Amino acid sequence: MASSQEKITVYNLADLKNTSDDAIPNYLNSLKFRQSHRLTDVRLALGYTAFLLAGACFLWDYKFGFDATKWYTAAAVALYSAINGALTLWIFYVERGTVYVGAAPSGETLRIMSETPRKTVPEYQLTVKIEGRKGGKKETLVVTRSFTDWFDAVGHFVAPPFQSMLASAVPVIGKHDPKRVAPTEEIASVYTPEMLDALSKASVGAVSSAAETASGAESTPGKKVGKRRKA
Amino acid sequence: MLSSLQNPRQAAAQLMNFGLILSTAFMMWKGLSVITDSPSPIVVVLSGSMEPAFQRGDLLLLWNRNILSETSVGEIVVYNIKDKDIPIVHRVVRKFGTGPSAKLLTKGDNNLSDDTELYARGQDYLVRKDIIGSVVGFLPFVGYVTIMLSEHPWLKTVMLGIMGLVVVLQRE
Repeated sequence: MASSQEKITVYNLADLKNTSDDAIPNYLNSLKFRQSHRLTDVRLALGYTAFLLAGACFLWDYKFGFDATKWYTAAAVALYSAINGALTLWIFYVERGTVYVGAAPSGETLRIMSETPRKTVPEYQLTVKIEGRKGGKKETLVVTRSFTDWFDAVGHFVAPPFQSMLASAVPVIGKHDPKRVAPTEEIASVYTPEMLDALSKASVGAVSSAAETASGAESTPGKKVGKRRKA
Repeated sequence: MLSSLQNPRQAAAQLMNFGLILSTAFMMWKGLSVITDSPSPIVVVLSGSMEPAFQRGDLLLLWNRNILSETSVGEIVVYNIKDKDIPIVHRVVRKFGTGPSAKLLTKGDNNLSDDTELYARGQDYLVRKDIIGSVVGFLPFVGYVTIMLSEHPWLKTVMLGIMGLVVVLQRE
């Protein structure tokens, strides 16, 4: 499993983004958020339908030859393009980089979309849409942070600063994990690069998952993080 | 990035991406088949029998619809012979009659004699439905890749393996 000692290449923006994306559901689900997989499931359904259709087309073509099945093949090609087009539209206009949809224990639903807005700058941009209970007020937050805030120099993902970034920036998350809310808005100043390295070393022995690390290490970063924490 | 395979949805999505690459390629091929009305709209020249027009390794684009005019003498056609699985690219040199039952004789530009010897036992001519398309375009040399692949089948396995690995291990 993704131990926090798994290294990624810090120059690879996709790696930085994917690792961070994967950490979000881990973290939120550990806070008892209920994740909804509807968007992913629709995408999978569309994709596999298209794939099965192509498979069927291959089989009848192989078995009965081209001339006998021409019209079925023409229909299959048209249907396949339609499904694939729908899939593309779904990914670009509905999912739009969504990495998490879920409901907080307190009832709010939130949807987190991530992107790396500029190709050459290691920046992580989260758009968080929050909806209150029973169609209450909607709210959209945009958070942009540098990946260097939670990746150390060699490419270890360090969970505490990442989680505290989320908890501080998104009140709904902060409410369920008050320990992670940073006292000020400036998270970068809370974790210096030295502290990141120390945290990353500290979690070697104690931790199994990238997301569920370490409590109380903020004030004494050198201290070995003793207990594993689920909540 | 193998760790991502632990999440079943993510694994399913990655497998799907790989499958969709294959199926999209296949459906594009079939789409071209439907448009050109030919079971094999792109073929590779395997022999030098049509030199100097086509060399070994040339990629040919076929068209199998007679919208404006019938297949006639002078056209380069690709045809299949019963019980032989390799299509042949040669030129139509004689035509008797009209319509789907017109009798066609073909010959390779670089061959000394016509194709009667290549036809099936007892067959002296082709009819329209033996033909899978007339050549309407070609790309020189590109098809050599497929010649290599069919002459050295292990290359296929290697290539497919590498492609699969890349797609599974790499997101985005």
